Amino acid sequence: MAEEKEGLTTAEVLRKTRTYGQVRCHNPSCLGRLQPEPGADRVKCPVCGMEFRVTWIKSGFPRIRGPVWDVNVKIAEEAFQRKMKEEKKDGPQ
Amino acid sequence: MALNRKIAYIDLSTGKIEIKPIPIEIRRKFLGGRGLDAYLLYNHTKKGIDPLGPENVLLVSGGLLTATLASATARTHVMAKSPLGGMIGSANMGGFFAPELAWAGFHHLVIKGKAEKPVYLWIHNGKIEIRDARNIWGKTVTETQWAIREELGDEEIKSMVIGPAGENLVRFANVMTGIKNSGGRTGMGAVMGSKNLKAIAVRGTMDIKIAHPKEALEYNKRFIDQITSAKVNQTQGTLGTPFIWGATNSWGGIRCRNFQYNQQLYCDEIEPEAIDEVCTQTVGPYHMASCFGCQVHCRAKYRIPSGPYKGVYDEGPEYTSQGAFCGEPDCRSIETLLVGNHLVNQFGLDNLETGSLIAWAMELYELGILTDKETEGLELRFGNDEALLEMVKRIAFRKGWLGDTLAEGGLIASERIGKNSFDYLIQVKGVSNLHSDERATPALALNVATASRGSDHLRSRPAIDLYHLPEPVLRKIYSTPVPYDGPLSSEHTEYVGKPWQVFWQENCYMAVDCLGICKYHTVFLGATLPNFEDWPKVIYYNTGLEFTPRELWDIAERCNMIERLFNLREGLKREDPYRGDMLNHRYFDEPTRRGAPDVVGRVIDREKFRKMIDEFYSYKGLDENGVPKPETLKRLGLENEPSHLL
Repeated sequence: MAEEKEGLTTAEVLRKTRTYGQVRCHNPSCLGRLQPEPGADRVKCPVCGMEFRVTWIKSGFPRIRGPVWDVNVKIAEEAFQRKMKEEKKDGPQ
Repeated sequence: MALNRKIAYIDLSTGKIEIKPIPIEIRRKFLGGRGLDAYLLYNHTKKGIDPLGPENVLLVSGGLLTATLASATARTHVMAKSPLGGMIGSANMGGFFAPELAWAGFHHLVIKGKAEKPVYLWIHNGKIEIRDARNIWGKTVTETQWAIREELGDEEIKSMVIGPAGENLVRFANVMTGIKNSGGRTGMGAVMGSKNLKAIAVRGTMDIKIAHPKEALEYNKRFIDQITSAKVNQTQGTLGTPFIWGATNSWGGIRCRNFQYNQQLYCDEIEPEAIDEVCTQTVGPYHMASCFGCQVHCRAKYRIPSGPYKGVYDEGPEYTSQGAFCGEPDCRSIETLLVGNHLVNQFGLDNLETGSLIAWAMELYELGILTDKETEGLELRFGNDEALLEMVKRIAFRKGWLGDTLAEGGLIASERIGKNSFDYLIQVKGVSNLHSDERATPALALNVATASRGSDHLRSRPAIDLYHLPEPVLRKIYSTPVPYDGPLSSEHTEYVGKPWQVFWQENCYMAVDCLGICKYHTVFLGATLPNFEDWPKVIYYNTGLEFTPRELWDIAERCNMIERLFNLREGLKREDPYRGDMLNHRYFDEPTRRGAPDVVGRVIDREKFRKMIDEFYSYKGLDENGVPKPETLKRLGLENEPSHLL
């Protein structure tokens, strides 16, 4: 037990992988992180075009409050129509 | 010390009470909390018993670490055969009850039989009394708690109680402590009500000796730093659990209009920040509270800001209330959310089950399967806030045909309603799904399908699968304490590697449930939170018991298997839509329509889902039907169960 106390556990080792000042685009394939400008209330994903309202838990700690509805609903509707057309053409995914 | 906390057997039919120690060899096999409760339930019940009959057994417990110097070990576990799905019933809640029970000398209660008249248990410093509860029967959750405190003359008494829903045997009634700490899912409040047991009141001042106090405190500092520095817990300490609903809704992972949509649009009024503003305005800037010994402080306090309930105090709402009173019925009023949350807290109803069943009934009404005749004139349409709140009251008091029918839970209700109503019931093993929509997340779909207490996110959900963590990070987490070199994917729409993640999480969550630790202090919402490698030290410093990380994994696997044995005994069949590891057909047949571009148009692929189940079963040591192989039972030391050792 005494030996273990000196070492770091997996959870502690992984602490260095935490990212600060960034949020994650909510689209699954956009694996990158978005970095809002300090104090910004919106951020846009350069990959998929989704746009989010941003809030700040504290200085340097942004959080996505929610989608910019008009933008993201339009993207979703277009994606749905496209996929349904593809499904008709190719059969179910 | 923690290890000398006792187990009490209480027979409400005869009034006989027996108190025994918990042998160390039992601790080493099942630790405590949920794991030991599962052992006791399997050993003290017989196949096919009526869940609401006197032969059902109600288990109440704290974890092995409850009331020690370890952080966030406040969880109370409650178990019985479920009156909702007929499988294992299990509820887990925060608050202050379990530590008080431990200070009163007990870690486990085994409650049998049925009292002739309403009673409550009074447990204080090693003594247990059965007391008359006729004068408190009929009271709400908080009225009951204060009536007991007044009767016994001690404001520090902690009570686990039922409200009117439990008395009325609503099959998804909660047990409750405090104002909003809820032992929800699977109807443990109905089991209490069926025993004429209104409350369990505890008060304890018996010291718990810590094995190595200096080291326990030192290590706990390290533990606390790890927990409080995590971004997820800082967010929880600011916004509470509603932040989870908000984030999930943002990408299209929640249920809306029962299961028609996977996102609620333009719902800014009920976003977490909007709730936080109401809390700040009505209670003040310091409106976040905690359970016993926890540093996260995720419990919000509020007063209802407007309407007929204006000024009424309550706590929460949790993200499950957002699902119940916003997403699923597609209501967007913060007043409805806060009032609905208040009503379920006071009636002792499961918010998740209540909201899900009402949303199901709304869809049936809009389809014409339910009509004004069954609703007695109530226009049960989506977005009708008034009808939503009215149905909450009707269910709690079994008022009218539909209130009484929904109070029976989805399986019985679908039989009563008939037609093709079952096709629209989003449930697993008779338990409604969380307000999340798993069509874009195969790992989460596998989790809800195979969870032991019926559809559930707190049994094996790899929630960190949603974080797009780099594969090396996932591998680091999921290869400890048992090596795993199979595939893992950062993509949450993928199928590969997910069965192992679900298996790992199943064991992780069982371990914390045995120890009495809150899931927000392990790998649930945060990838860098303590788990198998961290717990042996906490256990050793606090109790003196030595375990390796691998031994804790093995114990968790054993406890999960005994829950499986219980369910198999009660009729679990792999692909049975009523009692199996199976999802509603809509997961496979109806594509998602909203959310992020990679989320829309998704269904669960039936064949890939079957393969995931096969792989998950193989990790658990089950055959293709989901039955444990003889060698698995031998490996886990369960080949002689039920063994009747305790």
